[in-house]
Amino acid sequence: MGGNLAQNYGEVVAMILFGIGFTNLLLQKNMIKKIIGLNIMDTAVYLFLAEKGYITGRIAPIIKNGDLSPDSYINPVPSGLVLTGIVVSVSVTALMLSLTIRLYRRYHTLDLDEISTRLKKEGR
Amino acid sequence: MEIVLNFPCLSILLAMFSAIISSALNRKWARYLNTFVVAAVGILSAAVLWLTITANQSFIYKMGHFPAPFGNEIRFGPLEAGMALFFAVIMLLSLNGGREKIRMEIDPGKEKLYYIMINLLLSSLLALVYTNDIFTAYVFVEINTISACGMIVITEHGRTIEAATRYMIMSLLGSGLFLIGICILYDMTGHLLMEYLYTSISNLMAAGTYRIPMMVAIALIVVGLAIKSALFPFHAWLPDAYGYSTVSSAAMLSSLVSKGYIFLLIKLIYRVIGFEVFYGSRIINVLFVFGLAGMIMGSVSAIRENDIRRMISYSSVAQIGYIYMGFGLGTAAGMVASVFHILSHGATKSLLFVAAVGLTDASGGHKEFDELTGAAYRNKLAGAAFLVGALSMVGIPLFSGFISKLLFAQSAIQSQGKALPALIVLAVSTVLNAIYFMKTVIRIYTPTDKEYEVTAFGYKISYAITLGCFILLNLLLGLFSQPITNWITQGLTILQ
Amino acid sequence: MNHILLFPILFPIVAGIMLLTIIKYQNRKPLLVFVGTVLGVNALWGVFAMCRVSEGVTVFYLTKSLPIYFKVDTLGRLFASLMVLVWLLGGFFSFEYMKHEKNEQRFYGFYLILYGVLFGLDFSGNLITMYLFYEFMTLTALPLVLHTQTKEAVMAGLKYLFYSFAGAYMALFGVFFMGKYAKTLEFTPGGVIDPAVLRENETLFLVVALLMIVGFSVKAGMFPMHAWLTAAHPAAPGPASAVLSGIIVKGGILALIRVVFEIIGPDFIRGSWVQRLWMALSLLTVLLGSLLAFREPVLKKRLAYSTVSQLSYILFGLSLFDRQAMTGSLLHIAAHVFIKVALFLTAAAVIYMTGCKRVEELRGVGKGMPVTMWCYTIVSLGLVGIPPTSGFISKWYLAAGALHTGIPVFSWLGPVILLISALLTAGYLLPVSMEGFFPGKEYDAERFQGKEPPLLMRVPLMIFAGFTLALGLFPNVLTNILSAVADFLM
Repeated sequence: MGGNLAQNYGEVVAMILFGIGFTNLLLQKNMIKKIIGLNIMDTAVYLFLAEKGYITGRIAPIIKNGDLSPDSYINPVPSGLVLTGIVVSVSVTALMLSLTIRLYRRYHTLDLDEISTRLKKEGR
Repeated sequence: MEIVLNFPCLSILLAMFSAIISSALNRKWARYLNTFVVAAVGILSAAVLWLTITANQSFIYKMGHFPAPFGNEIRFGPLEAGMALFFAVIMLLSLNGGREKIRMEIDPGKEKLYYIMINLLLSSLLALVYTNDIFTAYVFVEINTISACGMIVITEHGRTIEAATRYMIMSLLGSGLFLIGICILYDMTGHLLMEYLYTSISNLMAAGTYRIPMMVAIALIVVGLAIKSALFPFHAWLPDAYGYSTVSSAAMLSSLVSKGYIFLLIKLIYRVIGFEVFYGSRIINVLFVFGLAGMIMGSVSAIRENDIRRMISYSSVAQIGYIYMGFGLGTAAGMVASVFHILSHGATKSLLFVAAVGLTDASGGHKEFDELTGAAYRNKLAGAAFLVGALSMVGIPLFSGFISKLLFAQSAIQSQGKALPALIVLAVSTVLNAIYFMKTVIRIYTPTDKEYEVTAFGYKISYAITLGCFILLNLLLGLFSQPITNWITQGLTILQ
Repeated sequence: MNHILLFPILFPIVAGIMLLTIIKYQNRKPLLVFVGTVLGVNALWGVFAMCRVSEGVTVFYLTKSLPIYFKVDTLGRLFASLMVLVWLLGGFFSFEYMKHEKNEQRFYGFYLILYGVLFGLDFSGNLITMYLFYEFMTLTALPLVLHTQTKEAVMAGLKYLFYSFAGAYMALFGVFFMGKYAKTLEFTPGGVIDPAVLRENETLFLVVALLMIVGFSVKAGMFPMHAWLTAAHPAAPGPASAVLSGIIVKGGILALIRVVFEIIGPDFIRGSWVQRLWMALSLLTVLLGSLLAFREPVLKKRLAYSTVSQLSYILFGLSLFDRQAMTGSLLHIAAHVFIKVALFLTAAAVIYMTGCKRVEELRGVGKGMPVTMWCYTIVSLGLVGIPPTSGFISKWYLAAGALHTGIPVFSWLGPVILLISALLTAGYLLPVSMEGFFPGKEYDAERFQGKEPPLLMRVPLMIFAGFTLALGLFPNVLTNILSAVADFLM
């Protein structure tokens, strides 16, 4: 068990980071901290994917010196997935930030719970 | 016939490119383009549906140059095509019914953006329905979320921004879980295409290795999608988002967006995880319990609500609970019932939202029940449509809701050990439904002497036609359910 | 040819919907002519269809295994002819009565729709069709309860709705259940479920049977689900409460007979704990209804409690699973329809002419409204069960049937409770006539002077009183038919 964990330390770190990001996104009151949590969570997934795609001693799948043998390169698919994921995560972060700006302009706070209580008081 | 095989891909691209083109058009043309695209997608999907049903098989469409297992694919059978057709029809009707409201509530400069969001939503829904690749599914899940968020927030009401933020947070939690789930699956199998995943998973299960990680991955995926589709304890954002956004958004969010995720889950259950593996796991018990809890708690919250739009929103929570309860029963019949309920609830809930807006507009824009007294006399058609929707929700025979209840009950009786709780909760939830829907119906049909300023809205021809179509659709689902259940059964068989 | 069966169902529904939506009458007269024509034409068609059509008609299939199917049998004929009679006469009565209510057109619209729905209920040939029309009956009767739109009426309407839905879903639970085990859901005397299957899952089926019995008897006001009846019936306008108490509640009884005798089968329930529980509940309701009626000062509410009590006579008769008791139950259905409709119409006529609602205000009413009060007295005697009226015959059969079964305790307890209840019935109905005709010295003679209601109200009352007497004087015609029905069902 311990040996496995030590061997796959990259995945272990990724999972721990995912947990940290997830709880931050869920439990933080401050919107900015939530968004940071979201980014940690997404990055953890990319770390996980990159760790899966990397094969020790090989290089990025860009043909070098005419070497066409697949044995020299790492698996390109996870890298592609990471790139796609980054695009998604950037756009989601941008959207969240813009929503935060809207909320801040309206209520002058970043605390989501406080906004909710204020909305309930207003009654509509 | 060959040409029809291109239609699913074509419809996704059509929707996506129209979103891009719309940004260069003015609001009027953006509206026309949107209507055209939704209608065109409907027609294309109908052609695909006809082809797949007559051929009684599914087709695979290769995207790009790489063949499986490396490339990306689209796959379509009768169920997928029918679902795409249904989504397009509901979208067209919801947009048409709320058109006047869109004009009134959205800043004219932003109306164009709204239609861009709708086009994006359509393309992501179609992609979710048709895709054969789980990572593509993830990407389009996120696009779906973003466009849904845009649809909520576009009215720029304090509540909608807050609701949209909450919605985004919940959705991101869900999609984070979904993403890590599919990454673990990829880790274990090395595949992203559904067929190959299915074979690898069944080999792994047969060999008995990696059982725990497999269950973890399945659980992450299922819980992630359940959170996104607002299953009971994760519904806090829902009433505000549905209650304060513009009516077309509310109708589409409840009957399309959440249903898109549920349909993806059905696909994953059949095509990736495998029916047997899924039902062998304990996850279905969790879904069953949360589904039952949602059926009760959603209705209880709806009874306590004093705002008609929020009441209808809470009723959605209960109806989503029905669908997950059907998953949780663990029988093929339960799945058929759930798919039928996706249709029935989609048709009924959007009808209720569109009818409710006619009623509130006839009451000076108030949404509280006191002010709605006699609203059905001020806007007769909206009143009649609300009555139809309410009767369907309550489960009166001849309307679509009765057939869902019938199918749920029949499948519950077949399931082992779950029959009793399912039937009892079904009955209790139906009575609760009756309480708040019939209360509303009586309220809107109680005459009052109070005068209200009746806006022009609600007497528009397009609104009337929309309501008429909704009522017809509801009766169609209620009266001619046999061909539809046949189609669902056929579709689910081919899906496997 | 068989499709003429659909006409009496669809015609009034279409006419009623037109009255609610398209047609707008400014004056009363054309409206009344329209309603009267529909009532009359439909009655003729209905009777014609009942006599001529004997085969079933499948209209369409809701799902593959659930056809919407109509068929006329003797039971359906009995209920339908009672309904037609009450609907016609009640309609004529309301032509006069509804003068002092608002929104007449809406009232008649729903009155006509309900007419068609009841034909559908009486003619339905399988469980699912019956359930469909049962739900529609609940819904279309609601506007009649709500008609006055006062807060009291709305609360009563909601109460009615929730009790009815709760009952209907208990029954629906059973319908789903039967759908799985039964070969067909078409009504067949003796039941449709294989006895072997029944024996295999005995407890389960007994629970389902109990649920269906309790669920359908909500409409018939059986304890513990009777509270809606005494709220809803007095809240409705006079003629509506008459048809509610006379006919709608019988819908629950029809459903119960269909389910118990033609779906589950009497042999299965006979002798089980479900039967004993059913008998106990119905006897309790008989007593409870009479006692509550005895204490009630408002006339219409008193009559509603009396309905609760009298309907449980019928339920008790059914629960005995005995030929004679069954005949008694069917007779009591007919007797109670005429009597209770007449009683409610009397109450309506008194309210219409004088505005008096409470019993103590009615001192001396017989001096001013002799014809009305004579009718009231005759039908009251009928309900108490004094010969030569119809109530006597039906109660005789019920008591004789109970004694004949020889079930321990209940075979003698039943007749005793029926007797006590009959005394209570006399106690709460007859003082009204006595004080009405013999008020003593101190009463307000002015109040009732010349308040005899117009012909349109008097004639239906007289006809119902006449039927009550005729049934008591010449019972053989009906008892022969009904005991044949009972034979058929057993």
